[in-house]
Amino acid sequence: MNAIEAVNLGKRYYRRGGLGAASLFGALTGRSGPKREPFWCLRGVNFEIPVGRTVGVIGPNGSGKSSLLGLTAGTIHPTEGHVRVQGRISSLLELGAGFHPELSGRENVFLNAALLGIPREDVKKKFDRIVDFAELREFIDMPVKHYSSGMYVRLGFSIAVEVDPDVLLVDEVLAVGDLSFQFKCLDRIRDFQKRGKTLLFVSHSLETVEEFCHEALLIHHGQLVARGEPAEVIRKFIRFFMGERGGLHQTEYGTRAAEFGDVRLLNAAGNPCETFETGGALTVEIPYVAHRRIEKPVFGFSLKTANGLYVFGTNTQIQKHDIPFIDGAGTVRLALDPLRLMHGNYFLSLSMHSWDHVEQFHRREDWWPFAVQNPTGALGMLQLDSRWSQQA
Amino acid sequence: MLAPMNLFRTIHERRELLWNLAARELKQRYRGSVLGFLWTVLTPLFMAVIYLFFLRLLAGRGVPMEEIIIGVFAWQFTVQCANAGTTCVLGSANLVKKVAFPLEILPLSQVLANAIGHLLSLLVQFPVLAFLLWRADSHFAAAWPLFFFWVAWQTMFNLGITALVGAANVYFRDTQHVVGLVLSAWFFMSPVMYNMDFASRLAGQWPWAADLLYANPLTVIINGYRAALLPGAHAGFPPAAWVGLLLAPATLIVGTVVYRRFQNSFADML
Repeated sequence: MNAIEAVNLGKRYYRRGGLGAASLFGALTGRSGPKREPFWCLRGVNFEIPVGRTVGVIGPNGSGKSSLLGLTAGTIHPTEGHVRVQGRISSLLELGAGFHPELSGRENVFLNAALLGIPREDVKKKFDRIVDFAELREFIDMPVKHYSSGMYVRLGFSIAVEVDPDVLLVDEVLAVGDLSFQFKCLDRIRDFQKRGKTLLFVSHSLETVEEFCHEALLIHHGQLVARGEPAEVIRKFIRFFMGERGGLHQTEYGTRAAEFGDVRLLNAAGNPCETFETGGALTVEIPYVAHRRIEKPVFGFSLKTANGLYVFGTNTQIQKHDIPFIDGAGTVRLALDPLRLMHGNYFLSLSMHSWDHVEQFHRREDWWPFAVQNPTGALGMLQLDSRWSQQA
Repeated sequence: MLAPMNLFRTIHERRELLWNLAARELKQRYRGSVLGFLWTVLTPLFMAVIYLFFLRLLAGRGVPMEEIIIGVFAWQFTVQCANAGTTCVLGSANLVKKVAFPLEILPLSQVLANAIGHLLSLLVQFPVLAFLLWRADSHFAAAWPLFFFWVAWQTMFNLGITALVGAANVYFRDTQHVVGLVLSAWFFMSPVMYNMDFASRLAGQWPWAADLLYANPLTVIINGYRAALLPGAHAGFPPAAWVGLLLAPATLIVGTVVYRRFQNSFADML
C-alpha cells in the first residue's frame, strides 16, 4: 500500500503579474501590469511512496523541493495532477508556524494540535509527553513570545512528532535546538521509522539523507530526474549539479601559465571510475600543459567531504617530490593507495603553483566529486591502522 | 447553494479548531488591557450617548435612547466582522502557508468570536435597556425571544461579509480601504442612530430612498431587534424589506462561494 502517491503533479507560478491583478485599479482597467510570465516550479512529477519508507528529496536551491512538500502537506494546491496521502499527516514545514505569540505554551499546544486535527482528549493524554520532550515544564505557562528561538522550535517539533502521525513531512528542520536536542530529534525520527511510519523529507544535508533514507528523489528544475538508492542518487546530484555544471562551492582561478587538462580518476584496474572502495587504490591522472618553461613547479591536492569538511591536503613540496621543471604537455599521477577514506561522498581539489607560492598557475577547488564505499563494516571517517593484542 | 452546506460540515468536523481559534481571538483582544472585555460594552454605550446628544443638537429632535443603544450594539457587531474580514486571511499568512487546514475556519472563527462578544455584551445591554424602560414605566416586549433569531440572522449575514472581504483582500489590498469607506457610508444608510420614524419625513419626499433603506439587510435586522425588545417600536415591513431580509442569506451564499472558489490560491498570493 502506498502512503503517498503523486500523479502528474504540477504547480505553476507567475514570475511576474501574479495570479490576479496586484491592485483593484489594474483589475478594473483590465491591465494586470507587466505581461504574465508563467513558470512551472514542478511539472509532470510522478512517484509513489509505500507505507513505512523514508524518502529524502534532494536538489539544488529553487528546484521545487519545498513546493513538493507543500503540495503533499496540502498547504498549496496543484495546478495539474494530484497527490494523495493515506493516513494522518503531520508536517514539520515550519516549526511553531501555528503558534500565537500572546498565548502561553500550554494554550499553543492545544491550538496547534487542533490545527493538525487532533481531538482535545488525545492532546490531554499526550500533553505531559509533549512538554517533557520539549523540556519546557517550567515555562509552559509563559506566553511564547518570551520563549527563546530554541524553546519555540522545540515545542513545535515536540507537538508535530508526539501527535503520532502516519506520515511525517520534514523540511530541513532536523537541526533544531542544541546538540542534545538534535540527538533527541534524530532518535525520535529513527523511532518513527521503526514503528513503520512514512517519512518524506527535504534536506541539503546529503549525509543525513544518506543515513536516514531508504530512497532518494532528485529534483531539478521542477522535474524528477532521478530516484533510487540514496548513495546512488546523491552521487548523481553531486556529479551533475556540483561538478561539471558549475556547482555550489566549485571555484577555479590562476594565471593559467600552466593548465590542467582532462583529469581522470582511475581505480586499481586503471579504469575511469566514480566509486572507490575503502582500502582499495585511487589514482588521479593529471594531464597538464605549461605554456612557458616553469622551474620547480608544485602540484598539490586536497580532499573534502560533501559537507565541506577538510579531510586531507598535501603537495609535492611537502612530500619532497621535486619536479625540476615543466614545459609543454605532460602528465602527473597521484596515487592514494590504500585509500583510507570511509563511506561517503568527497571532492578532490587540485592546484599548481610556483615553488615560492608567489604565482598560482591553476587551481580547481572542489572540482572532482567521487564516492567511497566501505565494505569492511568499520565505522567513522578514516581508516586508521589498528591492531589488537591480548594477554591472558 | 452547496457551499454553505459544506460550511456546516467543516464547522462540525473542525469544531475544536474553531473554538480554539475563536478563544485565541477573544483572549488576545483583551489580554494586556486593564478594562478588557468592558471595552466591548463601553465603546457602544459611549457612542450611543454621543449620537443621542448630537442628533438632538443637529436635527432638533430625538430618538429614544433605547433604540440608539440597540442600533449601536448591532452596528458594532457588523463593523467588527467586516474589519475582521480584512485581516482574517492576511493576518494568518504564516498559518495559511505552512499548515494544512480548512481555510473556511478563518472567517468562521472571527465571526464566532465576534458573535460571542456580541452575546456577552447583551449582559450589559439588557440591564441598561431594562433600566431605561423601567424609568419610562415600561418593560421588555413579550416578543423578546425573537431577539435571538435576529442575532442568528445577523451572524449569518456577517459571515458572508467576512468571507467576501477576506477573500477579496487577499487579491486586492485595496479592499481594506474600500471597506472603511463603505462602512462610513453604510452607517448613515442604516437606522443606527435614528429609527424609521425619524426617516419617515425623508421617505415622504423620496419614496425610492425609503425602499433603498428597507432593502438594507441591517435595517431589517436592527428593526427586528427593536421590535423584539421595545414595546413601542414597530417598524413597517414593506415589500422592499423582503429584499433586505433575503439579502442576508444571499450574502452568505455569495461570500462562501467566492471564498471557496479562491481559497486554494491563498497560499500562493500571500
